[in-house]
Amino acid sequence: MNIRTKLVPVIGLLSAFALQAQAETIRIAIGHQSMCTDTYTAGIVVKELKLLEKHLPTTGKYADVEYDVSWSDYSSGGPITNQMMANKLNFGVMGDYPLIVNGAKFQATDSLRTKYIAGTGYNLKGSGNAIVVPVDSDIYSIEDLKGKDVSVPVGSAAWGMLLKGMQDTGFSKKDYMLKNQSPAVGAANIAAKKIDAHADFCPWSELMEFRGTGRKIYDGSETGVPYLHGVVVREDFADKYPEVATAFVKAVYEAGDWIRADPIKAVDLMEKWTGVEKEVLYIYFSEGGHLTLDPTIKPKWIDALAFNHGVLVKEKAIPPLDFDEWVTEEYVQAAYKDLGKSYKDEKNAMVDPALANASLPMEIWHSREGISAYKTIEDLLAAIDGFRKTGAKLNATYVYDKETGLKLFGKTAFYVLTDSGFETFLRKPDADAFAAAAKGKVMDYEAALATLGS
Amino acid sequence: MSRIDFIKNTLWQNLLAWLGLAVVFSVLYYLALMMALIIRFEGLPNYLNFHAWAFNIERIWLSTPSWLDMLLIMKDEWLLEIGFMNYDYGTGISEWSLFIAPVKVLGVLLLGILLSANYLLLRNGNRVCSPRATRGAGVATGLGATLVSLASITMSWVVCCSTPTWVVGLAMMGLGVSTSLWLEPVGVWVNIAGYFFLLASLYIAASRATANSRYQVDAHI
Repeated sequence: MNIRTKLVPVIGLLSAFALQAQAETIRIAIGHQSMCTDTYTAGIVVKELKLLEKHLPTTGKYADVEYDVSWSDYSSGGPITNQMMANKLNFGVMGDYPLIVNGAKFQATDSLRTKYIAGTGYNLKGSGNAIVVPVDSDIYSIEDLKGKDVSVPVGSAAWGMLLKGMQDTGFSKKDYMLKNQSPAVGAANIAAKKIDAHADFCPWSELMEFRGTGRKIYDGSETGVPYLHGVVVREDFADKYPEVATAFVKAVYEAGDWIRADPIKAVDLMEKWTGVEKEVLYIYFSEGGHLTLDPTIKPKWIDALAFNHGVLVKEKAIPPLDFDEWVTEEYVQAAYKDLGKSYKDEKNAMVDPALANASLPMEIWHSREGISAYKTIEDLLAAIDGFRKTGAKLNATYVYDKETGLKLFGKTAFYVLTDSGFETFLRKPDADAFAAAAKGKVMDYEAALATLGS
Repeated sequence: MSRIDFIKNTLWQNLLAWLGLAVVFSVLYYLALMMALIIRFEGLPNYLNFHAWAFNIERIWLSTPSWLDMLLIMKDEWLLEIGFMNYDYGTGISEWSLFIAPVKVLGVLLLGILLSANYLLLRNGNRVCSPRATRGAGVATGLGATLVSLASITMSWVVCCSTPTWVVGLAMMGLGVSTSLWLEPVGVWVNIAGYFFLLASLYIAASRATANSRYQVDAHI
């Protein structure tokens, strides 16, 4: 064996080591919130279905790259921003108010920035936030909160909604006692009737309604300010790996498609991943649900975020935020192009529940047989009555608010019986007004069911 | 004897007591924070997390171009987190927690060092300054210690955006959360003011001692 023959394996081994040493590992760390439904399409769904891994680039400069993807779950957006500042997270998924804090806090530094690169979903009118009272409370509207104790997680989107709602009602801060409370403790206080009302973000109000402890008296849709969530990324990361940022948006898009394709299967799995009851998740993710899944960045969203920033400036002396610098459509547009979708069309599309849900059927979630649909409220009530007579267990029933088109739990809606049949309402004052105009009668769920026997 | 010499001599002669008191104070400080959380929220902690502090500091070092940004981010980096996780909803929500951030611990240790130094300078046997100066130094020490203690709090409460900040202490004591969060940026100035009062206290004690010493020396002559 000559020297050249001897050297071949040695050179081969060294080359292998050299290649190994050259292979870059890209760390992708994402902060998400498993207790905030509107973040799921950029959070838990992408994580569990490994959609990011599916879309990560593997060619060109990424050919020899290895990815280290990690997910961290948080109870609110605040700590996600802190972890992004320390570069422990590259991406963050959060609601509108925390998003603004994120952008403003980064812009307050000398050298660090984030970019708002995509939405996850929205409710055009602001549903998702709500004010809830104990289920048997005699409070039925926001006007009834004068002189009452109201708790809310200060700094959250629900807090912004509460301030706006109170201002719109003509209440000053002296007219009610604002208390700061976490979602979990607020929900517990509502169950124990320790507080007059509690305002919270998605899905806490529906969670309280589903568990039978709370009743909504005010929905975020009444503020008329859209409620949205989105994705931010550290600018240095996005500049270095723009294709990874684009891949993330593609994963968000596919997560939305996956939910829309089979919402029942989706909420069943999401319940397992997050611990939030599937019947509650269904009110968000089903057809006609509160959440419109949409990664596009619409001018209306920027207006809404600017409005929210104004609220925060007044309340917390938050730093200024240059929206032109912070918001970029570069990655979401690239994602749509790669996926062969029309960004322009989807950006221009806007779902208004009042119009979109007008002709949707009512639904019953039977514990064994799944979900069945009913064209009218009368059909729904008759079906519920029939199921009750057989002793069947019903997980939930769903109707729509005549005023806003919002999907509601049948058991918490107000029913108005007129000559032309039933209509359902979220708020009692709306039901009362409709009943007065149509010479109808307002009743609750059980009373509406009782009319079948009369 | 100059003021500096007087301080040096007193502390050198009581070195063990000085450093021992500083360490004991630091430990008591964090125990007091923990007790405050337990009493305020009527529950014991149910989780404990360790964080890779050194690794995280290195990452901040490598990824933050501005020195000022780097230092401000590093100071909040924590090593240990102990708190209460509420499992009633979802996969659990951290209601409250106490964070041990090494940079903040150093700040508390410095507070302990200054406090114990003041104690040693003013205690019977060592004290040579006038009663009036003793009272002045005592007030300055108390004020300084209060300010630094307040601004060194590293507790988090989910209603204060779940991030460890000194204003959680104010919010827990009943100050409105909006007002507390509004005060958050002045924390660094509260800290500086606190240390200033502690140093002023040392100065008062030491300067009086110098005058007395001179008087005593003159009297012997």
